[in-house]
Amino acid sequence: MLSFVGKRLGQSAILILIMSALVFFGMYVISDPVAVLAGEDFTEEDRLALAAELGVDRPLIAQYITFLGNVIRGDFGISFVYNRPVLDLILERLPATLEVAFFAMFIGLVVGIPLGVYSGLNQKARSTKTISFTTTVGYSIPNFWQGVLLILLFSVWFKVLPASGRGDTVDIFGVGWSLFSLDGLSHLILPALNLAIYTICLQARLARSGTQEVMYQDYMTFARAKGISRNRIVRRHLVRNILIPIVTITGLQLGGLIAFATVTETVFSWPGIGKLLLDSIHSSDRPVVVAYLILITLMFVTINFIVDVLYALLDPRIRYT
Amino acid sequence: MSSDVTNTDVETLDTVNTGEPTFSEKFWKVFRGHPGALAGLIGITIFVLLAIFAPLIAPQDPYDQAQLDILDGLLPPGSTLWDGTPSLLGTDALGRDILSAVLYGLRISLFVALVAVIVGSAIGVFMGLLAAMKGGWVETAIMRAVDLKMSFPGILLALMVLAVFGSGIDKVIIALIIGAWASEARLVRAVALSELKKEYIDAARLAGLSDWRIMGRFLFPNSISPVLVVLPMSISGAIGAEATLSFLGVGVPITEPSLGLLIANGNDYILSGKWWISLFPGLVLVAMVLCINMVADRLRDHANPYLRGKD
Amino acid sequence: MTEHLIHVEDLTIAYPMADGEKFRAIDGFSMTVNRGQIVGVVGESGAGKSTIGKATLGLLDENAVIDTGGVSLDQVMVTQLEEHAFTDIRGNKVGYIYQNPMTALNPVLTIGEQIVEAIEANTDKRGSAARDYAITLLEQAEVPHPEERLSKYPHQLSGGLCQRIVFAIAISAKPDLIIADEPTTALDVTVQKAVLDTLVKLTRQENIAIILITHDMGVVAEMCDYVYVLRHGKLVEEGPTAQVLKHPTQPYSRELMAAIPRIDTKIERFAVPGGLGKAEDRQRAIDYLMSRKTDAGVEGTPLLSVRNLSKTFTNNATALKAATDFKAVSDVSFDVYPGETLGIVGESGSGKSTVGRMILGLHKPDAGYEITYRGRNIDDLKSRADKLAHRQSLQCIFQDPYSSLNPRMTAGDNITYALRAHGTLTRQEARTLAGDLMELVGLPRASARKMPHAFSGGERQRIGIARALSFRPDFIFCDEPTSALDVTVQAELLNLMKDLQDQLGLTLLFVSHDLSVVRQMCDRVMVMKAGEVVEAGDCEKVLVAPDHPYTQGLLAAMPRFRPEEAS
Repeated sequence: MLSFVGKRLGQSAILILIMSALVFFGMYVISDPVAVLAGEDFTEEDRLALAAELGVDRPLIAQYITFLGNVIRGDFGISFVYNRPVLDLILERLPATLEVAFFAMFIGLVVGIPLGVYSGLNQKARSTKTISFTTTVGYSIPNFWQGVLLILLFSVWFKVLPASGRGDTVDIFGVGWSLFSLDGLSHLILPALNLAIYTICLQARLARSGTQEVMYQDYMTFARAKGISRNRIVRRHLVRNILIPIVTITGLQLGGLIAFATVTETVFSWPGIGKLLLDSIHSSDRPVVVAYLILITLMFVTINFIVDVLYALLDPRIRYT
Repeated sequence: MSSDVTNTDVETLDTVNTGEPTFSEKFWKVFRGHPGALAGLIGITIFVLLAIFAPLIAPQDPYDQAQLDILDGLLPPGSTLWDGTPSLLGTDALGRDILSAVLYGLRISLFVALVAVIVGSAIGVFMGLLAAMKGGWVETAIMRAVDLKMSFPGILLALMVLAVFGSGIDKVIIALIIGAWASEARLVRAVALSELKKEYIDAARLAGLSDWRIMGRFLFPNSISPVLVVLPMSISGAIGAEATLSFLGVGVPITEPSLGLLIANGNDYILSGKWWISLFPGLVLVAMVLCINMVADRLRDHANPYLRGKD
Repeated sequence: MTEHLIHVEDLTIAYPMADGEKFRAIDGFSMTVNRGQIVGVVGESGAGKSTIGKATLGLLDENAVIDTGGVSLDQVMVTQLEEHAFTDIRGNKVGYIYQNPMTALNPVLTIGEQIVEAIEANTDKRGSAARDYAITLLEQAEVPHPEERLSKYPHQLSGGLCQRIVFAIAISAKPDLIIADEPTTALDVTVQKAVLDTLVKLTRQENIAIILITHDMGVVAEMCDYVYVLRHGKLVEEGPTAQVLKHPTQPYSRELMAAIPRIDTKIERFAVPGGLGKAEDRQRAIDYLMSRKTDAGVEGTPLLSVRNLSKTFTNNATALKAATDFKAVSDVSFDVYPGETLGIVGESGSGKSTVGRMILGLHKPDAGYEITYRGRNIDDLKSRADKLAHRQSLQCIFQDPYSSLNPRMTAGDNITYALRAHGTLTRQEARTLAGDLMELVGLPRASARKMPHAFSGGERQRIGIARALSFRPDFIFCDEPTSALDVTVQAELLNLMKDLQDQLGLTLLFVSHDLSVVRQMCDRVMVMKAGEVVEAGDCEKVLVAPDHPYTQGLLAAMPRFRPEEAS
């Protein structure tokens, strides 16, 4: 177990290093920050001075090494646009993203898994056909357009829910949460729903195919032959088996949700890190883009690592070999 | 073939039943009793035809500035343009006919997705076969690259690529290829590894056949079907991804608007009640993706041994 | 009539097929079982024997239709019951034993959980009483250290132990009947014997009746009072076991009895139809095969000589475990002489197949070995042509007919593709040769154009033989070539292989777990256990009067099929 953890941590470190290099050097292909920040009336001297101030006049390698050293100390540099430490900018917006992602994940699991297990168990029922068609439609609608439709429906036509922003937030542990104020909640519903619909459909489909697969295993027939009630077979034999893949996927999906939050946050002007990323790409705010990508790599690596360990712990076939 | 004609061996008679079901038999096995999937297939055909013949069908060339008139701007569906052309789905702010824009957008969306998925899958299949066949450091290198790719959600990776290279149709295609190859490679490698354990591969080795021949004639035809099954799903995924990237403003350029970009353009007008600019491209996009997914679902269910013959 | 426990009356069960036709898995079948009786239901694959057990317990697939008749248990027509009514029958009145114990137990639940839930569902014992009873049951099923086992998962135990646990579950509620569906097919022969003894002991104590569903006549001969022989869903013959085995009245039963390889005597040919193709059809193929270039060695020198062959496999490290070495074969040496058949017997995991695969070059042996073929050390072969000629001169007949042919090539291409790819034959020559070889192995020439899935398992093995022959080999490694086949098909195939060997003077290395098949096929035999050769010598000596205790144990565990002695 320890050597496994050690090996995975080593791999993760290498992965993060590779990504940081790719991102850092890659970003230099896009437009020159000096050109973006320089005013119309800047002279050549002004430009050079600005470049020196931003530290972009030195060789790339030197910049990268300085950058790496700073990153290890938690310093991702200063945003060109906001003129503030990048890490502060990102950490400030992270709770908004996590809030909407976790809320969506919660809805997705609570609604999706029971739907999937039900339709896997009752393959011929009419309701199953309806569920399966609905989930197909659900994930066929691209995320952003779902968002557009939700706004059109609930904000423009019915005028019941706000279309953008976070609304009032309540501070808990020094972080603002929309979930705990009525106004905030009304702002949260549409973006969360936007992310959740996809999650519901995905979880339902996974649970359905998992159920169908487990249903035809010998041990399910043998459990019936033992004289155990159907209810108990589903609760113990079925759910314990499909839980393993579901935990794995849920972990990976959380990463997916945070990534897709970029889209949702853009549609709903939700002030999270995804919207920050897109704004920064458009305004060539290099330090923010680089920091975001490195931090998100770190986040995914951590999630994948936890999922791997969980998987090993959940499946006795791996736990005891 | 001419030499066969004189040969009287029974084996050359084409009337021998090869035991292999014909294409139409296979087709009906997959689609019979599944009207949704069949409807999807018909839908796909219609969309593809519309895309191919867009220049002939569209009432207007939406890229020709000379044909646009700002006075026609923001007309609701069912209006008539200044030059008398009926505008079934209304116009946008520049006076562009939405129907024409949608038809041309469909072309771009389909083209980008198809090219990306076909190239990406081909790379993925080759990489997967190579990894399985060669093992050792080749396999390690390929699979580490796959892991690297798979630890990121596709949309984020595409954003990274586009943030680095800038936008444009070619850049979008590259971004989607980078997104597509890895999962195919992993899938093909898994299938190929289980095929490699089978005895017909041993027989081929005993025959002294080279690795490349075994890969081409033995491994490839027996490992390809799972990829073909997920291909429609990959295509619909790529259509959605391209639309998303264009919607976010990092995809195709404004001069060649895909469906995603048309939706984004219309999005600014939604809050002022000009819903048609965004809604119609969106509907077409969703309808096309849905049609493909209906077929994809059916193919996947059919390929699933646990479901075969059960429904 | 009243004393019948089970009465099956004119049962017909059909499955609808894709083309609208119906497939009758069981067709107008009737049988009766009395209390405490052990009844055998025997038949080859596709005979529909499992369907009877499933119908009794209401476990048929959803799309199965009972066309006529039914099954009554204690006067209750169970085939008409609703699903919920079966809870009183399953586990309670009828216990079920599954073919493969490793898949019958849920991999993510502990053994304890799985036994206790059966006890709680079918008896009034709860909690710790149920747990204590579970330990008692495991003791009765002769599971050593029963308390420790309760917290284990199925994959941590051997197949034999898992099957004993399944027994414990099946008898937990003291049912009237146990349906045992091929209970030992997945187990090694020594384990099979002990497991069956336990089953008989358990059921005799409680006077539990057994329906034993099996393909193995030896098992039937040893265990059953009464036997039903099935074929294609129809009853062929029934009667007291001794009578059916000794004096089968129907042609199919006679053929079945004749096809069973016997451990106690060697016979030249099985009295079953089939074998080589017609003499005039096969001459061209024989001419081709006899024209092979063999520098026939000096009389009395071995064709193949193997010294100090070992193989260590390394298990890859998994999430929670470091890499481990596993010695599959250790220090095996032997000679094979031209024209003879050397047998290797052993149970699963004995390393017998690995030996053959190393000789063929499919596995690389550990350093320190020496393999001499036709008087040359095979590692001295340097030129490409020499290597290819060597490789093609040693061929293999594989175990699994369903994976040994490339499913995407016609039968003919499977046979001759390699010769064409190497440029040895033109397209037209290859086609002719494929047809000739098909005829040689008793298949119609025209069917060379069919794809593999159009052939039965036995036919596919014939195609595999034709493919091996296409290279005009001197040496053929037969890797359990008939273990996946039905006994009548096995007999045909063994006949074919003997005939080919006689005609062509082939040298065979014949690997099998089945001592009686080895007895029929081999001149000499090596017995392997855990990677080592424990005994070697003439077949007649080793399999009649073995010296080594392991061989003696193997022989004693073989189910005896001796109709003349049946009482």
